[in-house]
Amino acid sequence: MNPAETLPAAAALAVPLSAFQLVAAVLFTIGVVGVLVRRSALIIFMSIELMLNAVNLSFVAFARQHAQMDGHVFVFFVMAVAAAEVAVGLAILVAIFKSRTTASVDEVHLLKG
Amino acid sequence: MVVSILFVLFTVMAVTCALATVCHRNPVHCALFLVGVLLSMSGMFIILNAPFIAAIQVLVYAGAIMVLFLFVLMMLNVRGETPLLTPGATKGFGILFGIVALAELIWIVLAPGIEEWRPGPAPNLPADFGSPAAIGRILYTTWLYPFEITSILLLIAVIGAVVLSRRKFE
Repeated sequence: MNPAETLPAAAALAVPLSAFQLVAAVLFTIGVVGVLVRRSALIIFMSIELMLNAVNLSFVAFARQHAQMDGHVFVFFVMAVAAAEVAVGLAILVAIFKSRTTASVDEVHLLKG
Repeated sequence: MVVSILFVLFTVMAVTCALATVCHRNPVHCALFLVGVLLSMSGMFIILNAPFIAAIQVLVYAGAIMVLFLFVLMMLNVRGETPLLTPGATKGFGILFGIVALAELIWIVLAPGIEEWRPGPAPNLPADFGSPAAIGRILYTTWLYPFEITSILLLIAVIGAVVLSRRKFE
């Protein structure tokens, strides 16, 4: 890429990278706590989506800081994996709900010794 | 200046909606709050010169994935949980673990000695940074094999979802 084709200096990041990383950390932690304390499998799925999004924010912030676009490609892959995970996970959830009429993870303990 | 104000706005919106997602009793409201998180993330991506990622965030996440969530919510007619949280020691462990993990992550971000995380001199961005054309160029050259494997993964997910939802459970 031609070095002359760069954005003007005004396009410099006004917010420090660590601020984005801190937001990502807070969102990731909220997702972790959601997975650990909630009982509904649906809410647990949503918390996992929250964690994936926090990581995506981290990827994009690092990509911006290093002016490398590989982070964007990785976010693309994370989104594809998240879509696959949600499709299969919700299908499992529907199957469990059909046989148990509950979405609570505390009441699905067939594999528990 | 404008960027800083937008950053604070999106941060407050994202964190508030995330807390509401985890804390709210009604699953439909949780899903809608999660849409709020996803949209504020999209705004963050715009700030970070990633317009294509912001667009597919809205299209794929807020559009497709959350609609799938809402379909399942409506189909299953899941009631609010009573009680809301897991009982006993698990809840206390979860919150304690969350506090410890947050402290660790903040320490990692703010720890001294990681110079490349500091604001530093602004990198010179290429003019087409984050554009669909530039992402497509490296996606189909450097990352071609992972891209093809992703398509196989999506095929497996489609087959798995169909098989799981058609199977009869006694």
